[in-house]
Amino acid sequence: MLERLKSKRLYPIVFLSLVVLISVSLLLWINSFTSAVVAAQTEAKIKSVLESIFPDLTSFQESGDIIIVYEGDNIAGYTFVAAGKGYGGPINILVGMNADYTLRDMEVLSHIETPGLGGKITEEPFTGQFAGLAADEIALSRDGGKIDAITGATISSRAVTEAIQGRMIEVIEILSGQG
Amino acid sequence: MEDGNKKTEYGIRESRGSVFWKEFIKGLVVSNPVFILTLGLCPVLAVTNSIDNALGMGAGVIFVLFCSNIIISAVRRTIPPLVRIPVFIVIIATFVTILSLVFEAYIPPLHKSLGIYLSLIVVNCIILGRAEVFASKNSVLDSMADALGIGLGFTLALVIISLFREILGTGGLAVFGFDLFNIPVLAEHPMTFFISPPGAFLVIGLLLALFKWIGVIKGD
Repeated sequence: MLERLKSKRLYPIVFLSLVVLISVSLLLWINSFTSAVVAAQTEAKIKSVLESIFPDLTSFQESGDIIIVYEGDNIAGYTFVAAGKGYGGPINILVGMNADYTLRDMEVLSHIETPGLGGKITEEPFTGQFAGLAADEIALSRDGGKIDAITGATISSRAVTEAIQGRMIEVIEILSGQG
Repeated sequence: MEDGNKKTEYGIRESRGSVFWKEFIKGLVVSNPVFILTLGLCPVLAVTNSIDNALGMGAGVIFVLFCSNIIISAVRRTIPPLVRIPVFIVIIATFVTILSLVFEAYIPPLHKSLGIYLSLIVVNCIILGRAEVFASKNSVLDSMADALGIGLGFTLALVIISLFREILGTGGLAVFGFDLFNIPVLAEHPMTFFISPPGAFLVIGLLLALFKWIGVIKGD
């Protein structure tokens, strides 16, 4: 039976199509429940990151790509994403800014810098330097700012400071424009 | 091909257990995919910059190789020879995509740090090589042993290379976020060259030379 089937000229086409069909249905099925997990993770991550920056947040409201964070009726601050270009590729940073336009906290969301070198932009000794600074102070010390670069990873360090500084200035302009 | 040779020199069939063991152990040393067969060097160069990445990649390759070897050896008699390579690739790509989806949902940090190299397991020539050379000609059980042996051999090679690169390049060793040790002077002034791609070439080259040298001494 199988031998007769295999001698047919269409057999290879039918076989390959069948394999692809099984493969695609299997992947669709698996994706149907992993995609929900991934979406929930992204949502939970945004919330937990917001809470790590603004522990007393009561609600937040999106305004364009800026999130306005409220503590009760008062605006506690703003969060937004700053994008920079590092040594390995794009770096995305979540920035929390106080209502007085100083930086509250920052967290690197994604990067592809070299582990052990530029990868250290996610670690405390570097990230801890940012709190409380105004936009014009967020630059490397050698560029006249208040941030010490990571040894051996000046490009990654500068990418982070320039991305945050640039985006902060933009956001402040938008916010003051709205009055 | 010595692969799949299930008879001793006297033509007597070996017991199932010893054949399984032989297929398994050969991948670790005698035909280690990286150091002896020098296959799949692209992901080896790319992901051996830390031991975490090496272990994650190794686990991924073992999973894909194991599953694809089982399926391919199970249907080996029905695969039309004309389209066997596309069939192998679809089967392999399916398991790689499953792996990628599962990693993204349940181990996001690893998914992030392996990046594009996770998807590139599809074109890792070790896996296609085992499908063509071994799984398409041998029983399911032997193909399982072959997959585990070659997969673990690949992982072992990744771990050895990443140990050198991570220790020399960062001055310490951290596994899954736990700092195991730091070498005092080296930690302050790490030889970052070893983390970068040229460092990978150097480490792999020296290790290949070492294994070749051991082979020569043993008279292979």
